[in-house]
Amino acid sequence: MRKMVFKRILSCRVNVSVVYSPASHREFSHYSLSLSLQLSYTVSRAADMDLQCLIGMKFNDFVLMATDMSQLQRIMVQKSDDDKMYQLSSHLVMAVAGEAGDTTQFAEYIAKNIQLYKMRNGYELSPSAAVHFTRHTLATHLRSREPYTVNLLMGGYDPKTDAAELFYMDFLGASVPVNFYGFGYGGMFTLSITDREYRPDMTEDEAYELMKKCISEVKRRFIVNLPKFRVRLISKDGLKDLPVIVAEGEAA
Amino acid sequence: MALESLHGVERYQHKWNEVQEEAALPEIGNFTNQYQLMMPPLPKAECQVGEYLVDETGRKMKLNYAHGTTTLGFKFKGGAVLAVDSRATSGQYIGSGNVRKIIEISPYLLGTMAGGAADCTYWNRVLAKQCRIYELRNRERISVAAASKLLANMVYQYKGYGLSMGVMVAGWDKKGAGLYYVDSDGNRMPGNVFSVGSGSLYAYGVLDSGYRWDMTDEEAYELGRRAIYHATHRDAYSGGIVRVYHIKEGGWVRISEQDSKDLHYAYAEGKTTTQ
Amino acid sequence: MARRYDSKTTIFSPEGRLYQVEYAMEAIGHAGTCLGILANDGIVLAAERRNTNKLLDDVFLSDKIYKIDEDMACCVAGITSDANVLTNELRAIAQRHTLQFGEPIPCEQLIMRLCDIKQAYTQTGGKRPFGVSILYMGWDNRHGYQLYQSDPSGNYSGWKATCIGNSSAAAVSILKQEYKVGETDLHEALLLALKVMSKTLDMTKLNAEKLELATLVRKDGHTEIIVKPCGRGAEADQGARGAGGGGRSFQAGQVHSQYKQA
Repeated sequence: MRKMVFKRILSCRVNVSVVYSPASHREFSHYSLSLSLQLSYTVSRAADMDLQCLIGMKFNDFVLMATDMSQLQRIMVQKSDDDKMYQLSSHLVMAVAGEAGDTTQFAEYIAKNIQLYKMRNGYELSPSAAVHFTRHTLATHLRSREPYTVNLLMGGYDPKTDAAELFYMDFLGASVPVNFYGFGYGGMFTLSITDREYRPDMTEDEAYELMKKCISEVKRRFIVNLPKFRVRLISKDGLKDLPVIVAEGEAA
Repeated sequence: MALESLHGVERYQHKWNEVQEEAALPEIGNFTNQYQLMMPPLPKAECQVGEYLVDETGRKMKLNYAHGTTTLGFKFKGGAVLAVDSRATSGQYIGSGNVRKIIEISPYLLGTMAGGAADCTYWNRVLAKQCRIYELRNRERISVAAASKLLANMVYQYKGYGLSMGVMVAGWDKKGAGLYYVDSDGNRMPGNVFSVGSGSLYAYGVLDSGYRWDMTDEEAYELGRRAIYHATHRDAYSGGIVRVYHIKEGGWVRISEQDSKDLHYAYAEGKTTTQ
Repeated sequence: MARRYDSKTTIFSPEGRLYQVEYAMEAIGHAGTCLGILANDGIVLAAERRNTNKLLDDVFLSDKIYKIDEDMACCVAGITSDANVLTNELRAIAQRHTLQFGEPIPCEQLIMRLCDIKQAYTQTGGKRPFGVSILYMGWDNRHGYQLYQSDPSGNYSGWKATCIGNSSAAAVSILKQEYKVGETDLHEALLLALKVMSKTLDMTKLNAEKLELATLVRKDGHTEIIVKPCGRGAEADQGARGAGGGGRSFQAGQVHSQYKQA
């Protein structure tokens, strides 16, 4: 297992450098060809999950989530109105980044199971129970033949305890309650901004502005083109779509 | 009874069973169930077909499937257009110049091929069967969304086992024209404009700059045709015949099949060709 | 005629009955009485004890009331060995839920899961139904204090007060008369439980040795389940002499004495 993780990390480095090399397409395929001689297939798969960007912030009575709207394939933007957020229950949203295919399959599996729970029992799982279930599922598959390679942010509001909740979860099955987090290389740029500016008592408008700031920084410094972010707010009233953030800003 | 034992009928019967058993086909799962391909007796990480191929110098060789292709599809006011080339390559060689890369799944559904030709043909046929069964069971045609999801789920089962395909599923259903991209990584997404294959970069160039929602049918055919032609011109792995299909309310229609060479000279003369 | 239909559980009789299931219910009618009463501030379970041979070496404090998890306990009437299998299953189901969801299983879900198993045994060829009825008491954050009953057919239902086992019909009719809906506190519920038990049990004088009692209350965000066996002679005698009488103690012996005084 440890060996596998190591390989994944290795692959991220190597492959990313290939993606940005100004090589023509054919040179690119030559690169990936020679690379695949050295690294096994599973390795190259994990690379583009770090190019996707998920951001989540938890405040006193709501959670704000933003995900980039680009669907990337190798060197191309294949789609720019993608939705990486999945609604699991009336007050719970899961943002997923990771291996192509795994993301949809895993998110839908979790979403359907949580909806099944509601149908069977007449009430929904609490956000923390849903997160626990998700982690359990992810961790069980991790040591199977086919693990799901997905990183997630789960944001929700528990109407029973009147608490906003945000959880970090990575593909290794670590689940941590957090105030804010950003996944992927894009997310790294946002972490210091949130470290600096985050207050738990921010209003919805202030939070939206903070999110804008983060996304501008991604636009400004990150080499990959992630111009648009879908933004959602989860509060006691459930889910709300906020205006899409189109990033502005360029490196000084 | 006595005669039977005298002649050894029973013994013969026994022998016959044995003979039959020996003659029986080896157990290949997908002869009885199309979703069950036979798996190599290896862990998944070692299943890459390419890992076991060796070139003439004894070097390990990655099996590079016929990625060489240009296919495209887009939706517009008048429905959806699919356009493809017809070249199949294996390595440096042109395997065929007359491949049908648009697969006719049903009178209302089309699929395109990019990647492994065998994979695409096989899974599109399974999909065709599945769509027909759906139609018979439910007395209505399957939606494009459902058909593409079927394909994506089938292919996802084999993720990491070496399938190679990038397919566009296009058709007409209650919601109008539908266009989905599905590939062997497990991706599935709806969209207005897609291009798949080694020539897709070139095709996108023409397609993106010429694309408008409110094109006329003729403009749309010409856009698709030109995009494929320019891709065949630049991409060595694409070429042959440019085929254009149109999907509209009554199902799909084959619009044109022209040699890219003829198109080349026609375009060079500054003419726009329509058949 | 019946012989043709009662040897296999899966077959209906021409009258549309499942004999094996009915026989199982019948068996429970002869088992020790179990009683449950829901109060505003807690729940009481009471069970009749049959094995009171003094030569019996009591290894377990109780043999009819089982704790299932942090928030639930149950009381069984019927074949004890069958009950052991089911209580084990109950505990496993509860723990599996906690493993998967990180929180205790809601009461009704647990009972539903167990009843699925019970039901399966009324339909599977070559199997016999479990000869056990169960009373469950529990607390969850959705519905608060709850009392349920399940039977061998796999049916279950929620109650304010109910009784299973021997002479349960008589007990239920007393409960119907005496139980004040919404106005019963735990102390009154205990007294009522003892009253019903003393009236319905087949003996002249209710003896502490013959009873098992359990209470479930919420205290400081935790569920407190106290299972009090009365089998320990000394303790029970002490109570019976009315020596304690210490307010609202849930110690069964003492409650018993209070009841006698009342």
